[in-house]
Amino acid sequence: MVTTGISKLDDYLGGGIPPGKTVLYYNHPGVEGDIFIIHALYHNMLAGRKSIYLTLSSDPQIFREEFMSLGWKIEEHAEKFILIDAYSSLIGATSGEEYVVDNPEDIGNIDRIVRRALDDSDENLLLCCPLSAIMDLCGVEETLKAVVGWNKRVGDRGQNIIYHFTAWPYPSEVLERIKEELFNAVIEIGGIRERVIFGQYFAVVKADWTRATGKTVLFKVVRPGGVRLYIPKILVTGPFNAGKSSFVRALSTKSVSVDRNNTTVALDYGHVDHKGMSADIFGTPGQERFDPILRMLSSEAMGIFLVLDSTRPRDFERAKKMLEMARSYGLPYIIIANKQDLDGALSPDEIRRRFNVPDDVPIVPTIATEKKGVFEAFELLVERIMEDK
Amino acid sequence: MLDYSLGIPEVDEITGGVPKGTNIMLLGPPLTGKHLLIRHIIYHTIKEGDSAVLVSTRDTGDEIIEWFSEYLEEEERSRIGIVDCVTKSLGKNIHDKDVVKYASSPVDLTGIGIKISQFFEEFIRRRQIPKTILCIDSVSTLLMYTNIQTLFRFLHVFTGRVKLAGAIGIYVVDEGMHDDKSINTLKQLFPAVFEVRTDGEENHLRILGLGSKPTPWKRYEIDGVEVVIKSGE
Repeated sequence: MVTTGISKLDDYLGGGIPPGKTVLYYNHPGVEGDIFIIHALYHNMLAGRKSIYLTLSSDPQIFREEFMSLGWKIEEHAEKFILIDAYSSLIGATSGEEYVVDNPEDIGNIDRIVRRALDDSDENLLLCCPLSAIMDLCGVEETLKAVVGWNKRVGDRGQNIIYHFTAWPYPSEVLERIKEELFNAVIEIGGIRERVIFGQYFAVVKADWTRATGKTVLFKVVRPGGVRLYIPKILVTGPFNAGKSSFVRALSTKSVSVDRNNTTVALDYGHVDHKGMSADIFGTPGQERFDPILRMLSSEAMGIFLVLDSTRPRDFERAKKMLEMARSYGLPYIIIANKQDLDGALSPDEIRRRFNVPDDVPIVPTIATEKKGVFEAFELLVERIMEDK
Repeated sequence: MLDYSLGIPEVDEITGGVPKGTNIMLLGPPLTGKHLLIRHIIYHTIKEGDSAVLVSTRDTGDEIIEWFSEYLEEEERSRIGIVDCVTKSLGKNIHDKDVVKYASSPVDLTGIGIKISQFFEEFIRRRQIPKTILCIDSVSTLLMYTNIQTLFRFLHVFTGRVKLAGAIGIYVVDEGMHDDKSINTLKQLFPAVFEVRTDGEENHLRILGLGSKPTPWKRYEIDGVEVVIKSGE
């Protein structure tokens, strides 16, 4: 199967893209979505698959350097990565690429070269194409007609095409055809907007080989690295001195602690980068006098870590109460059984019994000060948050 | 109460300023210094404490920042965001910086749009700067690399974003480079026009579409970052 280069997206697609299928990234203007194509090209190259990109608005050499800006080396895969150069002729330059489109405004020319590239390859081929850029240059109807032909061709031969489409305000019949009829799968990339776009998401809108999930996933683009799934707010709460600040510090790549006299008086903040996921976590202070703001702090949060000092079962009632306050929105949560290194620490099973924790809520043993168990806990909570949406 | 100002007091007096959400076409023949007018407007905006995004199709980001360094301090320059459509198209690879982001080429409207959005997010949401202006210098150059329908769609989206953000937009169009049909298509998006003309010796400007009637033609000269209105017609 062809990979999208983003494991969560492959999961939602039932493991990846089966042979013969075509996929469209439906990208709302202003949102950085062309990077998804680069993910697909690179990870398929790594897997030994021939990957071809048709470049129309970017110099081929500059395009190759995009991979470098993400920290990815492509020299070792040079024979696997091929460019169809439809850019150089546009600006009147000569090209050193294997496939050159001399007249990029003529869909017939582009069509001939694309077909040649498809024919020159066996079934183990991924072609990526900037659909709207071609439509803008050659005409909407002419391009879509050629695309129907390309899709049929790869369908017959077991090859794959991934298209990138910027959803400019084309006529609504055109947008509808593109979104609903022409491709086996459509993944929407858009922005969450108030006055300006401030968050980005992708969502599988359609995939005709698997049950489309429709789940929306927030993401960020980091350099180096690429697309990172992003959770804007996870709350870390629990009774006084349970080890919340230590937990935030242990998980975070960068953290900011706000404490006085060794106790947290405002919010601890940390940013986590772990295995392709990115999250911002916020630790609350444990004392009761801060309770009124606990409910407020949990708004916009997507999940909760409830941190317990495993040696202090008498604090569990307090923890339960804090959880109720924070969970007024029904958020996914997991319990952190911290301080497992200390004498008298209850095991997760004992905590589950005494605390009457439902079976489906994980209890993860941790020693936050030694960073033990924290990343397992993080992965578990992210799983739940992703499923929940 | 002025929402925005183009930094020319004699014009503000007549028009009452520029309401937020306004998109303005800066239209005039070549060689009338429209790009200097843009720089004047940006300078004035920055001096007011606001921010500016400039899409440049002819000067590189570095050249523009260097030009401004004569008139603006570093903190002030940090409120300018330049989308440079030139450098990469010359074949030079370069990474985005704080003040300059790079589009692959003037063909790459998708990329230009992404960089504009990123600057808007930086200025408006992250830094919470209350007012922002978007300038495109020039729409005419972009039109050389694409067709009017494609460009119209692009401008339709971004004039809309300007309105949504409570910003203003100023878009440079060279008169004489396009047919009337294209200009009229574009005018649908720009309720206001900042017009310049030259009689060979002197330049004149006027504004239509702000306020109840056009301003009269005014003679002007550009001195560094200042636009100086000369008395008489």
